[in-house]
Amino acid sequence: MPPRLTLTGINKSYGPIKVLQDVALTVQPGEVHGLLGENGAGKSTLLNILSGVIASDSGTIRIDDKPVNISTPRDATAAGIAMIHQELQQVPELSVAQNIYLGAALRRMGGLLVDRAGQEAEARRLLAPLDASIDVTAPVRSLRVAQRQIVEIAKALRSNARIIAMDEPTSSLTPNEFERLVQVMAKLAAQGVSIIYVSHKMDEVFRLCSEATLLRDGRIVGQVPIPVTPVRQVIELMVGRELASASHTGFATLREVLQVRGLTRGRAVQDASFNLHAGEVLGIAGLVGAGRTELLRLIAGVDRAESGSVILDGHPVAAGPRARIRAGFGLVPEERKRDGIIRHRPVTTNIGLPAMRRFSRLGLIRKAMLRTRSEELMREVGLRPLDVSRPIGSFSGGNQQKAIIGRWLAADTRIFLFDEPTRGIDVGAKAEIYDLIERLAREGRAIIVVSSELPEVIRVSDRVLVMREGRISATLGPGEITEANIARAAIPAS
Amino acid sequence: MNNLSPSPILSRIHFREAGTLLGLVLIGAVFAWQSETFLTAPNIINILQQSAINACIALGMTLVIISGGIDLSVGPVAALSAVLGAAMLVAGVPVPLAILGALAVGTVCGFLNGALITWGGLQPFIVTLGGLSLYRALALIYTGGTPIFGLPDGFRALTNGTVGGVPNPVIAVGILAALAWVILNKTPLGEYFMAVGGNPEAARIAGVPVTLTKLAAYMISGLMAAVAAMILIGRLGAAEPTLGTLWELDAIAAAAIGGASLMGGRGSIIGTLIGAIILGTLRNGLTLMNVQAFYQLLATGIIIIVAMLIDKLTSVKQG
Repeated sequence: MPPRLTLTGINKSYGPIKVLQDVALTVQPGEVHGLLGENGAGKSTLLNILSGVIASDSGTIRIDDKPVNISTPRDATAAGIAMIHQELQQVPELSVAQNIYLGAALRRMGGLLVDRAGQEAEARRLLAPLDASIDVTAPVRSLRVAQRQIVEIAKALRSNARIIAMDEPTSSLTPNEFERLVQVMAKLAAQGVSIIYVSHKMDEVFRLCSEATLLRDGRIVGQVPIPVTPVRQVIELMVGRELASASHTGFATLREVLQVRGLTRGRAVQDASFNLHAGEVLGIAGLVGAGRTELLRLIAGVDRAESGSVILDGHPVAAGPRARIRAGFGLVPEERKRDGIIRHRPVTTNIGLPAMRRFSRLGLIRKAMLRTRSEELMREVGLRPLDVSRPIGSFSGGNQQKAIIGRWLAADTRIFLFDEPTRGIDVGAKAEIYDLIERLAREGRAIIVVSSELPEVIRVSDRVLVMREGRISATLGPGEITEANIARAAIPAS
Repeated sequence: MNNLSPSPILSRIHFREAGTLLGLVLIGAVFAWQSETFLTAPNIINILQQSAINACIALGMTLVIISGGIDLSVGPVAALSAVLGAAMLVAGVPVPLAILGALAVGTVCGFLNGALITWGGLQPFIVTLGGLSLYRALALIYTGGTPIFGLPDGFRALTNGTVGGVPNPVIAVGILAALAWVILNKTPLGEYFMAVGGNPEAARIAGVPVTLTKLAAYMISGLMAAVAAMILIGRLGAAEPTLGTLWELDAIAAAAIGGASLMGGRGSIIGTLIGAIILGTLRNGLTLMNVQAFYQLLATGIIIIVAMLIDKLTSVKQG
């Protein structure tokens, strides 16, 4: 039998940044194929090319040995490729059946009316082998995430998908729900459906996949038969070097600046307490959904805590972002486009925004002063090109990140809160961001770094908090910061 | 480091404003060619006079649009300010106090809009659509639907006077435009308008007082509506509860022609002023050419759409 899917020579660049280079991938019929890589390795880009969301610069896609041209999502569906995104793309208010037939409604009366009864019967038939307990007339909003995923799978089957790509499907599932998904995937595989399974969770990959392709910095670094390859070797291929065990920034002092006590918000963050010292880099590790970002946002005052307090230099700090910023906190958010930058405005105003009072006199902004200070800061952090009057949106991700760091430097921020500081940043700029974090620590500022990349956490942190299901499950000091220790504390006992 | 090349953001704004000005010049050239009276001093003053009220409303509208909102209630807010101001004037309240009172009415209406949008968490379109009916109804109920006549001469002299041949309303709107320009381009509030309209969540995380910024935009818009109302009733000598019908659309059109993005985050006071003058010029010129009112409407529609198309094409080119 020919391979179900063959990709060859896939290239994709954004300007000078090569996101994918000469990527090849072969998936057999009925195979669960792992696609592994760190954040930013190019997994999502590859999936987007496969599903017609973005176009590759070059390369060929063959399905069952026939070349196909996929330039729109419609082409992908027609070729039998379905994507199940991490963020499920459903209309919450519509019923299960309506979602399954979204954009392809069954018609009756010569196409005039939607055949609801027919859709519901078909939806029931599709769902029966997957999860018969799902009510096809219920609005999708009323389903649990795991069930919504099953609905997506049913939708893929409805369009006769022969290749289903799943992007981190388990990030919000409980262990039981995961088992259910494993069974569903086994059934699909038995029917000859090929599954591309994207994840960075080793235990799942080893459980589910027979074969895995490893991506690093946009290149294929290996295709390995999963059951007979040691986990350590897979991780080392993925991160591109031998596993680090202990290294840290090393400017931590004993002077305690911040006490967090009992911070709680719903189930996302429960009773989080810890201390932070001047010059210290505190890493927060954990799985996606463990509550790390949420904790950081509570400290930054961006979300409101239901209980608990944030105490700076012995004084409780009022809630709300403005009060926290005035006290000396600054959040460098993960989603720069959404939470960080004002795209059309120049670097100068993006830097000056929290400290407008400092940059104005008699109610007028001192533009020359803002410009001089911005240039000074951006020279220090290495903004390229060094043109602070350009809109921030015209810079690369790494340079935008430098500008956001500069924003908090301009506001004399003492507590830097980094959320995934190198997400979406190319490798060269990553090192610069690490250097900047080190510099901040050397200057005696206190730093919290939330990161999903273990090598990153290990590289920058003096101490590491591990979060699990909303709680701090471990605090690792110098000498204890290893991937094994972090993983042990992060993975929920099942 | 000396950077001699103009920075993209500056050139982008100036580019857009220059484009709007070019549009005005082209339209003016056509009318000057078609009509002898068009390019005379009295007619140009007439155009400015006729554009003043829309320009005034559009200034506030521009700030609201830049901050990511919309204010559909400006016409009725003007009407309510007009009838309450007129009632005070007729009742013998001193002219400055009555004007201040009317301006306060407009500002309070703007505050109500802003409060529902910020603290109430409602959508600007819906809130001000509600306001559009509500404030109009209040004006009609208060007057029983009949105009208030007999405004004192002292008040009317303010709006009908001239300085060096330029009508007072034109001068007043000019000064307000200068103030609005300073607020938008030189003060933290102006940066906040653009930040909140450009990316509200990022602005909040960066410490921008988002709620106060939005409130300020709607209050300024209400205030400008009241100023426009004072200009109009001064010139008419009466306050009709039905005045200001469709003002919101003219103001939005002026702002959009001038380069304001209805998505928020971008806009220009100078552009809006030119936009208002373009609309005024169009009406004036077509009237001079004895073109039917229906065609004037057609021309207005075409100008708005052409402006947006040019905007789209040039912004794609600029990346």
